[in-house]
Amino acid sequence: MSDIQSEMRATAKQLLESGEATVVIGWEKGTMPYNSTPVMIRSAADVDKLIWDEYCQQNLSTYLIDFIYTEDKVAIFAKGCDTRAYNRLIQDKRISADKCIVIGVPCSGMKSAKAAAKLPEGAEVPMSKACKECRYPNPVVFDRKIGQDVTPWCTEKDFSDVEAIEAMDQDAKAAFWKEQYTKCIRCYACRNICPACNCTNCIFDQSASGWQSKDINASENQFYGVTRAFHVAGRCIECGQCEMVCPSDVPIMLMNKKFIKDIDTLFGAYEAGLETEGPVPLSHYEVSDPEEFM
Amino acid sequence: MERVGVFICHCGSNIGAVVDCAKVAENVRNYPGVAYSTDYKYMCSEPGQEMIQNAIKEHNLNRVVVASCSPRMHEKTFRACVEKVGLNPYMFEMANIREHCSWVHAGKNEEATEKATDLVKMAVSKVCKNEELQKGHAPVTKRALVVGGGIAGIQCALDIANNGYQVDILERTPSIGGKMSQIDKTFPTIDCSACILTPKMVEASSHPNINLITYSELEHVDGYVGNFEVTIRKKARSVDIKKCTGCGTCMTKCPGKADDEFNMNLRKRTAIYTPFPQAIPNKPVIDRVNCLKFKSRENGKDVCGICSKFCPTGAIDYEQVDELVTEKYGAIVMATGYEQFDHSIYGEYGYGKYPDVISGLHFERLVNASGPTQGHIVRPSDHKEPKTVVMVKCVGSRDPEHGKSYCSRTCCMYTAKQATMIRDHCPDTKVYVFYMDVRTPGKLYDEFYNRTREEYGVEYVRGRVSKIYQDGEQLMVKGEDTLLGKQVEIAADMVILANAMIPQTDSEKMAQIVGIGYDKDGWFTESHPKLGPVETHTAGVFLAGACQGPKDIPDSVAQAGAAAVKVCALLSKDQLETEPTVSKVDTKICSGCGLCVPVCPYKAITLETIQERRAGKTIERLVANVNSSLCQGCGACTVTCRSGAANLKHFTNAQILAEVDALCQTIL
Repeated sequence: MSDIQSEMRATAKQLLESGEATVVIGWEKGTMPYNSTPVMIRSAADVDKLIWDEYCQQNLSTYLIDFIYTEDKVAIFAKGCDTRAYNRLIQDKRISADKCIVIGVPCSGMKSAKAAAKLPEGAEVPMSKACKECRYPNPVVFDRKIGQDVTPWCTEKDFSDVEAIEAMDQDAKAAFWKEQYTKCIRCYACRNICPACNCTNCIFDQSASGWQSKDINASENQFYGVTRAFHVAGRCIECGQCEMVCPSDVPIMLMNKKFIKDIDTLFGAYEAGLETEGPVPLSHYEVSDPEEFM
Repeated sequence: MERVGVFICHCGSNIGAVVDCAKVAENVRNYPGVAYSTDYKYMCSEPGQEMIQNAIKEHNLNRVVVASCSPRMHEKTFRACVEKVGLNPYMFEMANIREHCSWVHAGKNEEATEKATDLVKMAVSKVCKNEELQKGHAPVTKRALVVGGGIAGIQCALDIANNGYQVDILERTPSIGGKMSQIDKTFPTIDCSACILTPKMVEASSHPNINLITYSELEHVDGYVGNFEVTIRKKARSVDIKKCTGCGTCMTKCPGKADDEFNMNLRKRTAIYTPFPQAIPNKPVIDRVNCLKFKSRENGKDVCGICSKFCPTGAIDYEQVDELVTEKYGAIVMATGYEQFDHSIYGEYGYGKYPDVISGLHFERLVNASGPTQGHIVRPSDHKEPKTVVMVKCVGSRDPEHGKSYCSRTCCMYTAKQATMIRDHCPDTKVYVFYMDVRTPGKLYDEFYNRTREEYGVEYVRGRVSKIYQDGEQLMVKGEDTLLGKQVEIAADMVILANAMIPQTDSEKMAQIVGIGYDKDGWFTESHPKLGPVETHTAGVFLAGACQGPKDIPDSVAQAGAAAVKVCALLSKDQLETEPTVSKVDTKICSGCGLCVPVCPYKAITLETIQERRAGKTIERLVANVNSSLCQGCGACTVTCRSGAANLKHFTNAQILAEVDALCQTIL
């Protein structure tokens, strides 16, 4: 890891000194050993803040939106999931590739900060769930690359957790989700971190529209959860950031994965964020589409 | 302050016998927003409408709900009714308590009354959120496009042109004329097809208001009623039509040979050709697939070029390429006609392998004086006159298992016509007709059929043919005579199959290009089977002739005239009214992700750059923009838009939510 870290710092230094980039987005060490948090570096003198360790799970691509109306040229360090998010943002026309320099960093999977926080110091920390199921640890798009590509440890999508829920009867399902969303405090952290949640004006912020009341209860929270899952359907790149940041441990990815499974079944296998062009399954139609429901 | 008037209609006993209308009126009297509520026997009647108008004035109503039938039935009536007394027509809402309630809940009067109450409450909640909307206006391009240059297309174009409007005929083959030009005689009068068609063709080509675009394909259609933008592919003729005088020297000298499609491949034609002598325009095209020069070019050589050497005007142009042109039209008429069903799928008729088992259209060419046999009825195999001919009807028609489930309508008559022609030309030849039924509705049609049997002595055998097989020089036709209840076997010299009519093989693609509906067989769908036979569901697109379903010449011509009238009615307007119930994008909310663009079936949405002030700077960003003339108000964009920036006027998110809330609150 340290090789990659020093190479990251050198690259950032070179980019900032040469003026190729005015800002570099990477990770720095947070307050706890299991926190590695985003950092924006504008000066070559600060590049030593950059780190690369087993807790750099946070997807940085979302921060690119903050620079769309600035004069900046932004360099960003990007793991496989960050690059898929980057592609998604391009496809949603939220960022422009001209403004960005993507420095790909192959990733061997990140440890779960949440698990680490609960374990005694020095204990073996397990890999985060999203990373365990990751099929794209290597950057899918980049301008430069640091380090060597790794061999993906997963090739198939793992839907066992979704299938377990599907196997429940309706009442059990309802009870399960009610319990999960009773915990939700509607802090919207899952929305804020999500690279697919990139609307300029989120529906949940339009309180006058009448879609969602400000009440925090199981019903309103479930409406929030389901609506958000619908909104990212077909665009979720499975980075698992939503679950990572959820303070109430709501299994948000379970719902996202259910959508991914259904899309695969109904419209053919699809991987969001691998391309920036081409049809998106839920926003595309062909005259030859099946119409079993008609 | 919303002051809603609610009017519950009994529709005679249609609603009144199931729903307690007076009780519904009573139930909603105190519902929020309702200022007046009543019921009446026929709300759509004149006294009913007056009742609404008087109530608006008396009770100072600013919104109206009528609970009655489907809005498809009377929404227009009531909108006009409230508009007459000064209300905006979009401040009116209809609750469907007939189709959605009384008709489907007969016998459950109490529950139906409760449901009707809910439906009215929903309509009241929605109308309270309704906004005043104004109709828009769009200009009209006073020019029509007729796709297909057969008899329907020609007639339609002539009728439009004679009304003083410009019209283009788009034809994919080198000449206009269509199937009728291949036919020898027409029933029931036995007048020569060419003799009545060619004057129309000449009239069309010389009409100052008609422009012929032959050897060209429909490529793409954009736009909307009154303002279509049509891209046409003008296929490379390899002949400069301006220089060519139509002298025909090239055709006499051309060494290339190809199957003559016009003559049903019964003879060969040259590679540079006009399909038939009376072709219009009478200028040849080079069939590049069969031209020696183009064939040699594929092998890296460049031989022949004889046509070019002999052409006195230097009109041959081997380097011509397809040309794409975009033209503007106010209306489009589809007149793409039909094709003949291919009987080679039928094993019992020999899979199309026996040369003397021919189709009806083959026979038309055989009997035609300018056809491959100069009009002599002979067998294609040995050019001998047949002494016994068997004709088989319903080949591919009325056969849902292997062919088409529909009746092709024309075959009974053309078989009778062809039978009489055989008897006329070859009086010694015996003719048998195998039939399922004889269907001859039409002026003088049944009389013709009776003459065929009685005067011409054609033998009609009711039954199906089970097998045709070659037996020496003859064809053995086995079948059942169901009237006599016995098997029959006829040794025939020639068999003529009355093949079904099917749509053009690419009719579905055509329909998709133009944006109209088609049925399971590929025929274009009219907007209403009885009351809109030449209209389609796409405003400004009309149908003429057999592309809508099997039709004979008189029907095609009549429908062509009808379509022309609709076109002229459209082109006679200077401006078209457009519905205001279209989508609108709130640019403040729109992120410009563009997901609404591909889901719009009317191509009404584009992304546009707008300028905005943000944090003291002017920035540019993309937002979606709806062309209100193209938008048909389907709402696909509104459900795609995550942030709710796209909203359908008159069906806004807030209005629909109000309806849902009204319903849910009732349940709770």
